[in-house]
Amino acid sequence: MALVLDRLPGIVDRFPGGSILVTSIDAVINWSRSNSLWPLAFGTKCCAIEMLMATGAPHQDMSRFGAEVARQSPRQADFMCIAGAIVKKMAPRMRMLYEQMAEPRYVMATGSCAISGGPFMYNSYTIVRGVDEVVPVDVYVPGCPPRPEAFFYGLMTLQKMIRQGTSIREPGVRRKPVMAALPQGITMDDIQGEMRRLLEADNVVNVAEEAGEKIWTEKIRIWMEKHLYKP
Amino acid sequence: MALAPGSSKRDKVNRPAVSVPVEALAALAPKLRDDPALRFDLLLDHTAIDWIADGRFELIYHLYSTVHGHHLTLTTSVSRENPVVPTVGAVWPIAHWQEREAFDLMGVLYDGHADLRRLFLEDDWEGHPLRKDYKDDSMLGLPK
Repeated sequence: MALVLDRLPGIVDRFPGGSILVTSIDAVINWSRSNSLWPLAFGTKCCAIEMLMATGAPHQDMSRFGAEVARQSPRQADFMCIAGAIVKKMAPRMRMLYEQMAEPRYVMATGSCAISGGPFMYNSYTIVRGVDEVVPVDVYVPGCPPRPEAFFYGLMTLQKMIRQGTSIREPGVRRKPVMAALPQGITMDDIQGEMRRLLEADNVVNVAEEAGEKIWTEKIRIWMEKHLYKP
Repeated sequence: MALAPGSSKRDKVNRPAVSVPVEALAALAPKLRDDPALRFDLLLDHTAIDWIADGRFELIYHLYSTVHGHHLTLTTSVSRENPVVPTVGAVWPIAHWQEREAFDLMGVLYDGHADLRRLFLEDDWEGHPLRKDYKDDSMLGLPK
């Protein structure tokens, strides 16, 4: 028997008169950070209209991932989603917005233009060829524009990175950026199946095993192997 | 045509179009606006074309009359080496903005313009990027 849920990273064990929860601060902080990303919608071009607005619409339900509180002020946001090409005149402003965001901050570059300059790469006097020349990027989501499923795939990749990352042990350490690309030539069913599979693989709680008569220290050892950051 | 000597009617256009010598522009613009039969009181658009092979900029004024409802495309040419044209901002005030844009991107100089600064690009930008011979360190050519 298995349940799918976004579980609190830790072990709850029965105890006379109640339960006891064993976890690590790192894991809890990462868990809460990954599930409460406050995006700063940074849409400069068609990606903002085609993808970000569709993604924020009720049909897609962005709040499933805890990232629906889009802010227009960088002071209240910690997740910058760059949608659209950045020109040389915009680049210093974008850097300033990035500096104003609350730490720890994450950047996602969505769409070809934000990743590489896209169709404006050649013979353009004004394009910034990839926003990673200006701000550090955590996740790249390719597409022109990406579908909302691709955006969520990138968002889930970022959440995964945050959960595996460090919070208080090694502050300032950044993971290498990843390309969250959906495979070519797949259907909507494949995307949803892949998302479901990812969600299940991350968050399956085997109740029978959890409630089994395993030794307490053994449980902690298994959990730590699975969840804790290994440099 | 009678208003400006040296002007010529343009063919191959689907809208009335005349090209005038640049010296006639300053005197012609108020006549086009105020003549009761013409009354071109709206400057719809003003742009420039860089004909680098001919060594000239072509300036295009799209005029419209809200009184009579007719259009006119007025063109004139200046040399690329010394692209100085009289401003028409006193006749059509919107030309102030359009001439700033043409100066910013093409480097056309407007004689008599009150505030000829860059409009879109940064103030310290060097060169005028819509010129055909514009080169930039960060520009990337098409791969062979």
